[in-house]
Amino acid sequence: MHHEVEKVGDEIIIIRLKGELDHHSTQEIRDEIVPMIKNGTIKVLVWNLKDLNFMDSSGIGLILGRMRELAPIDGQTIIVNPSETMRKIFQFAGLSPYICSDSEIDIMSKLGGIVYGQ
Amino acid sequence: MDNEITLSFIAKSENEALARMVMSSFIAAIDPTIEELSEFKTVISEAVTNAIVHGYEEDGIGKIEIHARREDREIVVSIVDYGRGIRDVNQAREPLFTTKPDEERSGMGFTIMESFSDDVEIYSIPNRGTTVTITKRFVPIQETSRIV
Repeated sequence: MHHEVEKVGDEIIIIRLKGELDHHSTQEIRDEIVPMIKNGTIKVLVWNLKDLNFMDSSGIGLILGRMRELAPIDGQTIIVNPSETMRKIFQFAGLSPYICSDSEIDIMSKLGGIVYGQ
Repeated sequence: MDNEITLSFIAKSENEALARMVMSSFIAAIDPTIEELSEFKTVISEAVTNAIVHGYEEDGIGKIEIHARREDREIVVSIVDYGRGIRDVNQAREPLFTTKPDEERSGMGFTIMESFSDDVEIYSIPNRGTTVTITKRFVPIQETSRIV
């Protein structure tokens, strides 16, 4: 499991998950992201699943867990490029409203407007 | 055409990927659709993770067995552990129920298994172990139209 975590400014983190996301691989990625959120300035998490070949319910736990951490500051969660099967899994967990059909670039330009008030 | 295998491994989380890989290969012969394959892998992953995390608390000692049988386009898979067992099976099946919320288990495992397969049977005895038997029927391969 390889992934890229990119911090854009002080407020946005883009997480590009790759390969397979299961209970085993979530532990590693959680350890990386949690300290970044706990630092306090992050308002938006973008989960890009374009290069993710597999995800089970551990992905739900990982995303819901971070949503909970962002809740006190009214943070935003955006999921992009889930596969058909992942879409169903998100639906079972009530996460469909957080799936965005825009590309990562489009989202970033829209967020630029929201986060920086442009 | 029909086939049968048994796979045995210890309760370590890295074996989740191994189990998915072996089971994907096992069903390759029936040429599943991409969607069917990925749903099947998810079902296996959920059941195996349950055995590792809940059956054995990831002790790296407990044995997990997968018995898989293929008859025509029907796959029957049993995931067997000899761990702590499930006290209330009906409660375990409920969406969002989990005994480990602090470990970010979503409680969606059985919901996903039921949604992505045709039948899920759970047989469990506390402190003796759990057997989850999953049946999934794969759609017949579409006849490709011939170019005349």
